[in-house]
Amino acid sequence: MKAIEIEDIRFAYQEQLLFERLSLSIEEGEFFGIIGPNGSGKSTLLRLMSGILKYQRGRIKLLGKDLTTFSRQQIARFVALVPQESFFAFEWTVEDVVMMGRTPFLKTFAQPGALDRKRVEEAMALTGVTKLRGKSINCISAGEKQRVIVARILAQEPEIILLDEATSHLDLYHRLEIVRVMLELKNQGKTVVFVSHDLNEASAYCSKVLLIARGRILACDRPEMVITANLIKQVYGVEPIIAPHPATGRPQVFLPSF
Amino acid sequence: MGYRRQPGWFILIFVLLAGIIFEVFTGPGGFSLKNLSSVISFRLPRVGIGIIAGGVLAVVGGSFQGLLRNPLVDPWTLGVASGAALGATVAMISGTGSNLFLPVAAFLGALLAIGLVYILAGGKSGVAVTRLVLAGVIVSFFFSSLVMLLMVLGRHTLGEAVYLMMGNLGIVFTQKSGWLLLICALLALAGSFWLFVHARELDVISLDDEVALSLGVDAQKLTRMVFLVGSLAVGMVVAWTGAISFVGLVAPHLVRMLFGPKHRVVLPGSFLLGAGMLLLADSIVRNIAPAGLPLSVITALIGVPFFIYLLKAKV
Repeated sequence: MKAIEIEDIRFAYQEQLLFERLSLSIEEGEFFGIIGPNGSGKSTLLRLMSGILKYQRGRIKLLGKDLTTFSRQQIARFVALVPQESFFAFEWTVEDVVMMGRTPFLKTFAQPGALDRKRVEEAMALTGVTKLRGKSINCISAGEKQRVIVARILAQEPEIILLDEATSHLDLYHRLEIVRVMLELKNQGKTVVFVSHDLNEASAYCSKVLLIARGRILACDRPEMVITANLIKQVYGVEPIIAPHPATGRPQVFLPSF
Repeated sequence: MGYRRQPGWFILIFVLLAGIIFEVFTGPGGFSLKNLSSVISFRLPRVGIGIIAGGVLAVVGGSFQGLLRNPLVDPWTLGVASGAALGATVAMISGTGSNLFLPVAAFLGALLAIGLVYILAGGKSGVAVTRLVLAGVIVSFFFSSLVMLLMVLGRHTLGEAVYLMMGNLGIVFTQKSGWLLLICALLALAGSFWLFVHARELDVISLDDEVALSLGVDAQKLTRMVFLVGSLAVGMVVAWTGAISFVGLVAPHLVRMLFGPKHRVVLPGSFLLGAGMLLLADSIVRNIAPAGLPLSVITALIGVPFFIYLLKAKV
Protein backbone atom coordinates (compact mmCIF):
# COMPACT_ATOMS: atom_id res chain seq x y z
CA MET A 1 0.00 0.00 0.00
CA LYS A 2 1.00 3.60 -0.47
CA ALA A 3 1.81 5.51 2.71
CA ILE A 4 1.53 8.95 1.14
CA GLU A 5 -0.03 9.93 -2.16
CA ILE A 6 0.11 13.51 -3.37
CA GLU A 7 -2.09 14.14 -6.38
CA ASP A 8 -1.92 17.27 -8.45
CA ILE A 9 -1.27 19.65 -5.59
CA ARG A 10 -1.22 23.39 -5.93
CA PHE A 11 0.28 25.37 -3.08
CA ALA A 12 1.18 29.06 -2.77
CA TYR A 13 2.39 31.13 0.15
CA GLN A 14 0.13 34.15 -0.16
CA GLU A 15 1.04 35.38 -3.67
CA GLN A 16 4.09 33.22 -4.17
CA LEU A 17 3.35 30.02 -6.03
CA LEU A 18 5.50 27.10 -4.93
CA PHE A 19 3.83 23.93 -6.24
CA GLU A 20 1.70 23.66 -9.35
CA ARG A 21 0.39 20.21 -10.28
CA LEU A 22 2.80 18.35 -8.04
CA SER A 23 2.27 14.61 -7.71
CA LEU A 24 4.23 12.08 -5.73
CA SER A 25 3.72 8.80 -3.98
CA ILE A 26 5.66 7.09 -1.21
CA GLU A 27 5.37 3.35 -0.55
CA GLU A 28 4.72 2.03 2.91
CA GLY A 29 7.89 0.91 4.67
CA GLU A 30 10.14 3.05 2.55
CA PHE A 31 13.08 5.16 3.77
CA PHE A 32 12.39 8.06 1.46
CA GLY A 33 14.83 10.95 1.03
CA ILE A 34 14.00 14.44 -0.17
CA ILE A 35 16.90 16.61 -1.32
CA GLY A 36 17.17 19.96 -3.03
CA PRO A 37 18.63 23.44 -2.61
CA ASN A 38 17.43 26.04 -0.13
CA GLY A 39 13.94 27.27 -0.85
CA SER A 40 13.14 24.34 -3.12
CA GLY A 41 10.05 23.37 -1.12
CA LYS A 42 11.34 20.39 0.89
CA SER A 43 10.06 21.57 4.25
CA THR A 44 6.82 22.82 2.74
CA LEU A 45 6.24 19.38 1.27
CA LEU A 46 6.62 17.79 4.71
CA ARG A 47 4.18 20.29 6.22
CA LEU A 48 1.64 19.54 3.51
CA MET A 49 1.99 15.80 4.17
CA SER A 50 1.38 16.27 7.88
CA GLY A 51 -1.59 18.56 7.30
CA ILE A 52 0.07 21.51 9.02
CA LEU A 53 -0.17 23.58 5.84
CA LYS A 54 -3.30 23.62 3.69
CA TYR A 55 -2.97 23.20 -0.07
CA GLN A 56 -5.17 25.09 -2.49
CA ARG A 57 -5.98 22.32 -4.95
CA GLY A 58 -5.46 18.62 -5.43
CA ARG A 59 -5.52 15.79 -2.96
CA ILE A 60 -3.29 14.15 -0.39
CA LYS A 61 -3.96 10.62 0.81
CA LEU A 62 -2.38 9.09 3.89
CA LEU A 63 -2.48 5.27 4.09
CA GLY A 64 -5.09 5.35 1.35
CA LYS A 65 -7.46 7.83 2.99
CA ASP A 66 -7.99 11.47 2.11
CA LEU A 67 -6.13 13.71 4.57
CA THR A 68 -9.07 16.09 4.87
CA THR A 69 -11.24 13.32 6.35
CA PHE A 70 -8.99 13.12 9.42
CA SER A 71 -9.14 15.42 12.43
CA ARG A 72 -5.90 17.02 13.69
CA GLN A 73 -5.79 14.54 16.52
CA GLN A 74 -6.35 11.55 14.22
CA ILE A 75 -3.47 12.62 11.97
CA ALA A 76 -1.23 13.02 15.03
CA ARG A 77 -1.92 9.38 15.92
CA PHE A 78 -0.04 8.11 12.87
CA VAL A 79 2.06 10.97 11.47
CA ALA A 80 4.92 12.55 13.44
CA LEU A 81 7.24 15.40 12.53
CA VAL A 82 10.81 15.84 13.77
CA PRO A 83 11.77 19.51 13.41
CA GLN A 84 15.29 20.74 12.77
CA GLU A 85 15.56 22.45 16.13
CA SER A 86 13.35 22.83 19.19
CA PHE A 87 13.17 25.66 21.69
CA PHE A 88 11.79 25.50 25.18
CA ALA A 89 10.69 28.65 26.98
CA PHE A 90 10.23 26.73 30.25
CA GLU A 91 12.25 24.17 32.18
CA TRP A 92 10.60 20.93 31.09
CA THR A 93 12.20 17.68 32.16
CA VAL A 94 13.23 15.19 29.49
CA GLU A 95 10.48 12.84 30.66
CA ASP A 96 7.84 15.60 30.40
CA VAL A 97 8.88 16.27 26.82
CA VAL A 98 8.72 12.59 25.84
CA MET A 99 5.32 12.25 27.55
CA MET A 100 4.00 15.05 25.33
CA GLY A 101 4.21 12.53 22.51
CA ARG A 102 1.19 10.82 24.09
CA THR A 103 -0.95 13.95 23.67
CA PRO A 104 -2.87 12.62 20.63
CA PHE A 105 -4.04 9.62 22.67
CA LEU A 106 -5.19 11.50 25.76
CA LYS A 107 -8.60 13.06 26.23
CA THR A 108 -8.77 16.67 27.44
CA PHE A 109 -7.73 16.74 31.10
CA ALA A 110 -7.15 12.96 31.33
CA GLN A 111 -3.93 11.94 33.05
CA PRO A 112 -1.47 9.57 31.32
CA GLY A 113 -2.18 5.93 32.16
CA ALA A 114 -0.07 2.79 32.45
CA LEU A 115 0.09 2.26 28.69
CA ASP A 116 1.25 5.85 28.15
CA ARG A 117 4.00 5.45 30.74
CA LYS A 118 5.06 2.15 29.15
CA ARG A 119 5.34 3.72 25.69
CA VAL A 120 7.40 6.59 27.14
CA GLU A 121 9.77 4.14 28.87
CA GLU A 122 10.22 2.16 25.63
CA ALA A 123 10.81 5.33 23.63
CA MET A 124 13.41 6.60 26.08
CA ALA A 125 15.15 3.21 26.14
CA LEU A 126 15.31 2.94 22.35
CA THR A 127 16.84 6.41 21.99
CA GLY A 128 19.12 6.02 25.00
CA VAL A 129 17.81 8.99 26.97
CA THR A 130 16.43 7.11 29.99
CA LYS A 131 19.24 8.28 32.23
CA LEU A 132 18.49 11.91 31.32
CA ARG A 133 14.81 11.65 32.30
CA GLY A 134 14.90 14.04 35.26
CA LYS A 135 17.15 16.63 33.61
CA SER A 136 15.94 19.95 32.28
CA ILE A 137 15.62 19.91 28.51
CA ASN A 138 17.56 23.19 28.40
CA CYS A 139 20.53 21.72 30.25
CA ILE A 140 21.49 18.93 27.83
CA SER A 141 23.47 19.05 24.59
CA ALA A 142 21.91 19.69 21.18
CA GLY A 143 22.48 16.07 20.22
CA GLU A 144 20.85 14.74 23.38
CA LYS A 145 17.99 17.16 22.90
CA GLN A 146 17.31 15.91 19.40
CA ARG A 147 17.32 12.31 20.69
CA VAL A 148 14.73 13.37 23.27
CA ILE A 149 12.61 14.79 20.45
CA VAL A 150 12.96 11.49 18.58
CA ALA A 151 11.85 9.72 21.76
CA ARG A 152 8.80 11.97 21.85
CA ILE A 153 8.04 10.99 18.26
CA LEU A 154 8.40 7.29 19.15
CA ALA A 155 6.00 7.71 22.06
CA GLN A 156 3.55 9.02 19.47
CA GLU A 157 3.62 5.53 17.81
CA PRO A 158 3.45 6.93 14.28
CA GLU A 159 3.21 4.91 11.07
CA ILE A 160 4.77 7.76 9.12
CA ILE A 161 7.76 9.73 10.44
CA LEU A 162 8.74 12.98 8.75
CA LEU A 163 12.20 14.38 9.51
CA ASP A 164 12.91 17.97 8.56
CA GLU A 165 16.71 18.25 8.40
CA ALA A 166 16.61 16.68 11.81
CA THR A 167 20.30 15.78 11.83
CA SER A 168 21.79 18.84 10.18
CA HIS A 169 23.21 20.53 13.28
CA LEU A 170 24.36 17.39 15.07
CA ASP A 171 27.77 15.84 15.42
CA LEU A 172 28.63 12.52 13.75
CA TYR A 173 27.71 10.32 16.70
CA HIS A 174 24.29 11.84 17.29
CA ARG A 175 23.60 11.95 13.58
CA LEU A 176 24.22 8.22 13.28
CA GLU A 177 22.15 7.54 16.40
CA ILE A 178 19.13 9.25 14.84
CA VAL A 179 19.60 7.42 11.56
CA ARG A 180 19.97 4.12 13.45
CA VAL A 181 16.64 4.61 15.22
CA MET A 182 14.98 5.56 11.93
CA LEU A 183 16.33 2.45 10.16
CA GLU A 184 15.01 0.37 13.04
CA LEU A 185 11.57 1.93 12.54
CA LYS A 186 11.78 1.25 8.84
CA ASN A 187 12.54 -2.40 9.60
CA GLN A 188 9.38 -2.49 11.70
CA GLY A 189 7.47 -1.45 8.57
CA LYS A 190 7.13 2.26 9.31
CA THR A 191 7.54 4.84 6.58
CA VAL A 192 10.33 7.37 7.07
CA VAL A 193 10.51 10.55 5.01
CA PHE A 194 13.90 12.12 5.42
CA VAL A 195 14.50 15.70 4.28
CA SER A 196 18.21 16.42 4.21
CA HIS A 197 20.73 18.97 3.06
CA ASP A 198 23.37 16.31 3.10
CA LEU A 199 23.33 14.51 -0.23
CA ASN A 200 25.69 11.81 1.00
CA GLU A 201 23.55 11.04 4.00
CA ALA A 202 20.44 10.78 1.84
CA SER A 203 22.27 8.60 -0.66
CA ALA A 204 23.69 6.31 1.99
CA TYR A 205 20.47 5.44 3.83
CA CYS A 206 17.46 6.11 1.63
CA SER A 207 15.85 3.48 -0.54
CA LYS A 208 14.48 6.18 -2.81
CA VAL A 209 15.44 9.84 -3.26
CA LEU A 210 13.40 12.75 -4.53
CA LEU A 211 15.28 15.71 -6.01
CA ILE A 212 13.29 18.90 -5.95
CA ALA A 213 14.14 22.44 -7.08
CA ARG A 214 11.93 25.54 -7.09
CA GLY A 215 8.87 23.48 -6.39
CA ARG A 216 9.44 21.07 -9.28
CA ILE A 217 10.36 17.42 -9.06
CA LEU A 218 13.44 16.69 -11.14
CA ALA A 219 13.95 13.05 -10.24
CA CYS A 220 12.52 10.41 -7.95
CA ASP A 221 14.31 7.11 -7.98
CA ARG A 222 16.99 4.96 -6.38
CA PRO A 223 19.95 7.07 -5.15
CA GLU A 224 22.27 5.97 -7.97
CA MET A 225 19.78 7.33 -10.51
CA VAL A 226 19.32 10.67 -8.77
CA ILE A 227 22.72 11.56 -7.34
CA THR A 228 24.38 11.98 -10.72
CA ALA A 229 26.88 14.60 -11.86
CA ASN A 230 24.42 15.88 -14.42
CA LEU A 231 21.47 16.43 -12.11
CA ILE A 232 23.57 17.82 -9.27
CA LYS A 233 25.16 20.33 -11.61
CA GLN A 234 21.80 21.29 -13.06
CA VAL A 235 20.29 21.90 -9.63
CA TYR A 236 23.11 23.27 -7.51
CA GLY A 237 25.22 24.91 -10.21
CA VAL A 238 28.43 23.25 -9.07
CA GLU A 239 30.51 20.62 -10.84
CA PRO A 240 30.68 17.72 -8.41
CA ILE A 241 32.82 14.63 -8.33
CA ILE A 242 30.77 11.54 -7.74
CA ALA A 243 32.23 8.23 -6.62
CA PRO A 244 30.75 5.09 -5.12
CA HIS A 245 30.87 4.60 -1.38
CA PRO A 246 33.73 2.14 -0.63
CA ALA A 247 31.51 -0.13 1.47
CA THR A 248 28.01 0.19 0.05
CA GLY A 249 28.59 1.32 -3.51
CA ARG A 250 26.04 4.12 -3.10
CA PRO A 251 27.02 7.34 -4.91
CA GLN A 252 28.82 9.94 -2.80
CA VAL A 253 29.35 13.56 -3.73
CA PHE A 254 32.75 15.24 -3.40
CA LEU A 255 33.35 18.92 -3.84
CA PRO A 256 35.73 19.87 -6.67
CA SER A 257 39.17 21.22 -5.78
CA PHE A 258 40.11 24.69 -6.91
CA MET B 1 3.19 14.19 39.95
CA GLY B 2 3.40 17.77 41.14
CA TYR B 3 0.48 17.44 43.49
CA ARG B 4 2.53 15.10 45.65
CA ARG B 5 5.26 17.65 46.25
CA GLN B 6 3.44 18.85 49.29
CA PRO B 7 5.86 21.35 50.86
CA GLY B 8 5.27 23.62 47.88
CA TRP B 9 1.52 23.47 48.35
CA PHE B 10 1.93 24.24 52.04
CA ILE B 11 3.79 27.42 51.13
CA LEU B 12 1.03 28.52 48.76
CA ILE B 13 -1.74 27.77 51.24
CA PHE B 14 0.24 29.51 53.96
CA VAL B 15 0.54 32.68 51.87
CA LEU B 16 -3.18 32.62 51.15
CA LEU B 17 -4.08 32.08 54.82
CA ALA B 18 -1.72 34.87 55.84
CA GLY B 19 -3.40 37.14 53.32
CA ILE B 20 -6.87 36.27 54.63
CA ILE B 21 -5.81 36.77 58.24
CA PHE B 22 -4.18 40.14 57.60
CA GLU B 23 -7.12 41.27 55.53
CA VAL B 24 -9.67 40.30 58.18
CA PHE B 25 -7.84 41.21 61.39
CA THR B 26 -5.90 44.33 60.51
CA GLY B 27 -6.82 47.69 59.12
CA PRO B 28 -7.65 51.24 60.13
CA GLY B 29 -10.43 50.19 62.49
CA GLY B 30 -8.41 47.45 64.12
CA PHE B 31 -10.28 44.35 65.19
CA SER B 32 -12.57 43.86 68.15
CA LEU B 33 -15.72 41.96 68.85
CA LYS B 34 -17.62 45.25 69.12
CA ASN B 35 -17.13 46.17 65.50
CA LEU B 36 -17.53 42.56 64.35
CA SER B 37 -20.54 43.30 62.18
CA SER B 38 -18.75 46.03 60.27
CA VAL B 39 -15.72 43.78 59.91
CA ILE B 40 -17.94 41.11 58.45
CA SER B 41 -19.82 43.41 56.12
CA PHE B 42 -16.76 45.38 55.00
CA ARG B 43 -13.74 43.10 55.17
CA LEU B 44 -15.16 39.69 54.30
CA PRO B 45 -16.49 40.75 50.88
CA ARG B 46 -13.10 42.35 50.31
CA VAL B 47 -11.42 39.01 51.06
CA GLY B 48 -13.71 37.30 48.59
CA ILE B 49 -13.09 39.83 45.85
CA GLY B 50 -9.35 39.80 46.55
CA ILE B 51 -9.14 36.01 46.26
CA ILE B 52 -11.03 35.94 42.99
CA ALA B 53 -9.22 38.96 41.49
CA GLY B 54 -5.72 37.81 42.46
CA GLY B 55 -6.40 34.18 41.62
CA VAL B 56 -7.99 34.85 38.26
CA LEU B 57 -5.34 37.39 37.17
CA ALA B 58 -2.61 34.88 38.05
CA VAL B 59 -4.30 32.01 36.20
CA VAL B 60 -4.79 34.17 33.11
CA GLY B 61 -1.21 35.44 33.42
CA GLY B 62 0.13 31.89 33.64
CA SER B 63 -1.93 30.82 30.62
CA PHE B 64 -0.80 33.80 28.53
CA GLN B 65 2.82 33.09 29.46
CA GLY B 66 2.48 29.50 28.27
CA LEU B 67 0.54 30.35 25.15
CA LEU B 68 2.96 33.08 24.08
CA ARG B 69 6.06 31.27 25.43
CA ASN B 70 6.99 34.41 27.24
CA PRO B 71 7.63 34.80 30.97
CA LEU B 72 7.21 38.58 30.80
CA VAL B 73 3.54 38.74 29.86
CA ASP B 74 0.49 39.01 32.06
CA PRO B 75 -2.87 40.82 31.77
CA TRP B 76 -1.14 44.05 32.85
CA THR B 77 2.00 44.02 30.70
CA LEU B 78 0.00 42.91 27.66
CA GLY B 79 -2.36 45.87 28.02
CA VAL B 80 -5.38 43.60 28.53
CA ALA B 81 -6.10 45.10 31.93
CA SER B 82 -6.02 48.67 30.60
CA GLY B 83 -8.21 47.55 27.70
CA ALA B 84 -10.74 46.30 30.23
CA ALA B 85 -10.41 49.55 32.19
CA LEU B 86 -11.09 51.53 29.03
CA GLY B 87 -14.16 49.43 28.33
CA ALA B 88 -15.38 50.05 31.88
CA THR B 89 -14.77 53.78 31.44
CA VAL B 90 -16.80 53.91 28.27
CA ALA B 91 -19.62 52.11 30.04
CA MET B 92 -19.49 54.50 32.98
CA ILE B 93 -19.45 57.77 31.06
CA SER B 94 -21.96 56.66 28.47
CA GLY B 95 -24.41 56.91 31.35
CA THR B 96 -26.61 54.04 30.29
CA GLY B 97 -27.46 53.70 33.93
CA SER B 98 -27.21 49.97 33.59
CA ASN B 99 -24.58 48.21 35.63
CA LEU B 100 -24.88 45.22 33.38
CA PHE B 101 -23.09 47.02 30.56
CA LEU B 102 -20.00 47.62 32.68
CA PRO B 103 -18.54 44.07 32.76
CA VAL B 104 -19.57 43.46 29.15
CA ALA B 105 -17.72 46.60 28.05
CA ALA B 106 -14.71 45.63 30.16
CA PHE B 107 -14.61 42.23 28.44
CA LEU B 108 -14.82 43.81 25.00
CA GLY B 109 -12.09 46.31 25.93
CA ALA B 110 -9.82 43.47 27.08
CA LEU B 111 -10.43 41.56 23.87
CA LEU B 112 -9.69 44.66 21.79
CA ALA B 113 -6.41 45.17 23.64
CA ILE B 114 -5.11 41.63 23.24
CA GLY B 115 -6.08 41.60 19.56
CA LEU B 116 -4.30 44.89 18.99
CA VAL B 117 -1.15 43.81 20.85
CA TYR B 118 -1.03 40.50 19.01
CA ILE B 119 -1.30 42.21 15.63
CA LEU B 120 1.23 44.93 16.56
CA ALA B 121 3.73 42.31 17.67
CA GLY B 122 3.22 40.42 14.41
CA GLY B 123 1.59 37.24 15.71
CA LYS B 124 3.69 34.58 17.34
CA SER B 125 5.97 33.41 14.59
CA GLY B 126 9.52 34.47 15.29
CA VAL B 127 8.46 37.32 17.54
CA ALA B 128 11.10 38.30 20.05
CA VAL B 129 9.99 38.08 23.66
CA THR B 130 10.46 41.80 24.16
CA ARG B 131 8.48 42.89 21.13
CA LEU B 132 5.25 41.56 22.56
CA VAL B 133 5.86 43.37 25.81
CA LEU B 134 6.71 46.55 23.93
CA ALA B 135 3.44 46.34 22.04
CA GLY B 136 1.68 45.73 25.36
CA VAL B 137 3.25 48.79 26.93
CA ILE B 138 2.31 50.98 23.98
CA VAL B 139 -1.31 49.81 23.97
CA SER B 140 -1.46 50.03 27.74
CA PHE B 141 -0.18 53.59 27.79
CA PHE B 142 -2.56 54.70 25.08
CA PHE B 143 -5.57 53.11 26.75
CA SER B 144 -4.65 54.50 30.17
CA SER B 145 -4.49 58.00 28.71
CA LEU B 146 -7.92 57.48 27.18
CA VAL B 147 -9.26 56.27 30.52
CA MET B 148 -7.98 59.39 32.25
CA LEU B 149 -9.27 61.70 29.54
CA LEU B 150 -12.71 60.13 29.31
CA MET B 151 -13.15 59.91 33.07
CA VAL B 152 -12.37 63.58 33.56
CA LEU B 153 -14.47 64.67 30.59
CA GLY B 154 -17.27 62.50 31.96
CA ARG B 155 -17.20 64.41 35.26
CA HIS B 156 -15.71 61.62 37.32
CA THR B 157 -13.01 62.44 39.85
CA LEU B 158 -9.34 61.93 39.11
CA GLY B 159 -9.26 59.59 42.08
CA GLU B 160 -11.78 57.31 40.44
CA ALA B 161 -9.76 57.34 37.22
CA VAL B 162 -6.59 56.43 39.08
CA TYR B 163 -8.33 53.59 40.92
CA LEU B 164 -9.65 52.28 37.63
CA MET B 165 -6.17 52.27 36.10
CA MET B 166 -4.34 50.99 39.15
CA GLY B 167 -6.79 48.92 41.12
CA ASN B 168 -8.75 48.99 44.33
CA LEU B 169 -10.67 46.26 46.11
CA GLY B 170 -13.24 48.65 47.62
CA ILE B 171 -15.70 48.46 44.71
CA VAL B 172 -15.87 52.11 43.86
CA PHE B 173 -17.06 51.77 40.30
CA THR B 174 -20.47 50.21 40.56
CA GLN B 175 -23.37 50.62 42.84
CA LYS B 176 -23.73 47.73 45.18
CA SER B 177 -25.30 45.07 43.09
CA GLY B 178 -24.75 41.74 44.72
CA TRP B 179 -26.14 39.53 42.03
CA LEU B 180 -24.12 41.19 39.26
CA LEU B 181 -20.97 40.83 41.33
CA LEU B 182 -21.80 37.18 41.83
CA ILE B 183 -22.34 36.59 38.12
CA CYS B 184 -19.06 38.31 37.24
CA ALA B 185 -17.20 36.32 39.88
CA LEU B 186 -18.66 33.07 38.59
CA LEU B 187 -17.78 33.96 34.99
CA ALA B 188 -14.21 34.85 36.00
CA LEU B 189 -13.89 31.56 37.88
CA ALA B 190 -15.45 29.62 35.02
CA GLY B 191 -12.92 31.17 32.64
CA SER B 192 -10.05 30.19 34.92
CA PHE B 193 -11.46 26.69 35.18
CA TRP B 194 -11.68 26.42 31.40
CA LEU B 195 -7.98 27.34 31.19
CA PHE B 196 -7.18 24.73 33.85
CA VAL B 197 -9.10 22.04 31.95
CA HIS B 198 -7.04 22.81 28.84
CA ALA B 199 -3.76 22.59 30.75
CA ARG B 200 -2.24 19.89 28.57
CA GLU B 201 -2.93 21.80 25.38
CA LEU B 202 -1.24 24.82 26.97
CA ASP B 203 1.76 22.60 27.80
CA VAL B 204 2.10 21.54 24.19
CA ILE B 205 1.55 24.98 22.66
CA SER B 206 4.14 26.38 25.07
CA LEU B 207 6.73 24.52 22.96
CA ASP B 208 5.79 25.69 19.49
CA ASP B 209 2.67 26.12 17.34
CA GLU B 210 3.91 23.61 14.82
CA VAL B 211 4.77 21.04 17.46
CA ALA B 212 1.30 21.53 18.93
CA LEU B 213 -0.25 20.94 15.51
CA SER B 214 1.84 17.82 14.92
CA LEU B 215 0.69 16.50 18.31
CA GLY B 216 -2.93 17.00 17.35
CA VAL B 217 -3.63 20.33 19.06
CA ASP B 218 -5.33 22.92 16.88
CA ALA B 219 -2.97 25.79 17.67
CA GLN B 220 -4.91 28.61 16.00
CA LYS B 221 -8.15 27.64 17.66
CA LEU B 222 -6.50 27.27 21.06
CA THR B 223 -4.82 30.67 20.72
CA ARG B 224 -8.13 32.33 19.88
CA MET B 225 -9.94 30.57 22.72
CA VAL B 226 -7.31 31.42 25.34
CA PHE B 227 -7.41 35.07 24.26
CA LEU B 228 -11.20 35.05 24.40
CA VAL B 229 -11.55 33.25 27.72
CA GLY B 230 -8.63 35.15 29.28
CA SER B 231 -10.13 38.49 28.21
CA LEU B 232 -13.49 37.46 29.61
CA ALA B 233 -12.00 36.54 32.98
CA VAL B 234 -9.87 39.69 33.16
CA GLY B 235 -12.79 41.88 32.07
CA MET B 236 -15.00 40.45 34.81
CA VAL B 237 -12.34 41.24 37.40
CA VAL B 238 -11.26 44.67 36.16
CA ALA B 239 -14.87 45.87 35.95
CA TRP B 240 -14.98 45.65 39.75
CA THR B 241 -11.42 46.23 40.90
CA GLY B 242 -9.72 48.26 38.17
CA ALA B 243 -6.45 47.14 36.61
CA ILE B 244 -4.05 45.50 39.07
CA SER B 245 -0.44 45.11 37.99
CA PHE B 246 2.06 42.26 38.05
CA VAL B 247 0.16 39.71 40.18
CA GLY B 248 -0.40 37.72 36.99
CA LEU B 249 3.30 37.91 36.18
CA VAL B 250 4.94 37.08 39.49
CA ALA B 251 2.64 34.35 40.82
CA PRO B 252 2.88 31.88 37.90
CA HIS B 253 6.61 32.33 37.73
CA LEU B 254 7.13 31.55 41.42
CA VAL B 255 4.85 28.52 41.11
CA ARG B 256 6.87 27.25 38.15
CA MET B 257 10.01 27.54 40.27
CA LEU B 258 8.30 25.36 42.89
CA PHE B 259 6.65 22.73 40.71
CA GLY B 260 7.99 22.95 37.15
CA PRO B 261 6.10 24.19 34.10
CA LYS B 262 3.11 21.80 33.85
CA HIS B 263 0.01 23.98 33.56
CA ARG B 264 -2.09 21.41 35.37
CA VAL B 265 -0.09 22.35 38.47
CA VAL B 266 0.99 25.89 37.58
CA LEU B 267 -2.55 27.21 37.11
CA PRO B 268 -4.14 26.09 40.41
CA GLY B 269 -0.91 26.99 42.22
CA SER B 270 -1.00 30.44 40.63
CA PHE B 271 -4.60 30.87 41.74
CA LEU B 272 -3.65 30.28 45.38
CA LEU B 273 -0.51 32.40 45.27
CA GLY B 274 -2.07 35.23 43.26
CA ALA B 275 -4.97 35.37 45.69
CA GLY B 276 -2.67 35.38 48.73
CA MET B 277 -0.35 38.00 47.25
CA LEU B 278 -3.19 40.30 46.37
CA LEU B 279 -4.72 40.07 49.86
CA LEU B 280 -1.34 40.83 51.41
CA ALA B 281 -0.90 43.81 49.09
CA ASP B 282 -4.37 45.04 49.95
CA SER B 283 -3.79 44.77 53.69
CA ILE B 284 -0.57 46.75 53.29
CA VAL B 285 -2.51 49.41 51.39
CA ARG B 286 -5.25 49.62 54.02
CA ASN B 287 -2.80 49.77 56.89
CA ILE B 288 -0.35 52.33 55.56
CA ALA B 289 -2.89 54.53 53.77
CA PRO B 290 -6.33 54.42 55.38
CA ALA B 291 -7.41 57.27 53.12
CA GLY B 292 -6.79 55.09 50.12
CA LEU B 293 -3.96 54.14 47.77
CA PRO B 294 -4.18 52.25 44.48
CA LEU B 295 -3.27 48.57 44.77
CA SER B 296 -0.86 48.63 41.85
CA VAL B 297 1.42 50.94 43.83
CA ILE B 298 2.25 48.01 46.10
CA THR B 299 2.08 45.19 43.53
CA ALA B 300 4.35 47.15 41.18
CA LEU B 301 6.91 47.81 43.91
CA ILE B 302 7.26 44.04 44.18
CA GLY B 303 6.55 43.21 40.55
CA VAL B 304 8.92 45.58 38.75
CA PRO B 305 12.16 44.31 40.34
CA PHE B 306 10.94 40.82 39.55
CA PHE B 307 10.24 41.82 35.95
CA ILE B 308 13.75 43.23 35.63
CA TYR B 309 15.19 40.02 37.02
CA LEU B 310 13.24 37.97 34.45
CA LEU B 311 14.26 40.30 31.66
CA LYS B 312 17.93 39.85 32.58
CA ALA B 313 17.63 36.10 32.99
CA LYS B 314 15.54 35.17 29.97
CA VAL B 315 15.95 37.62 27.15
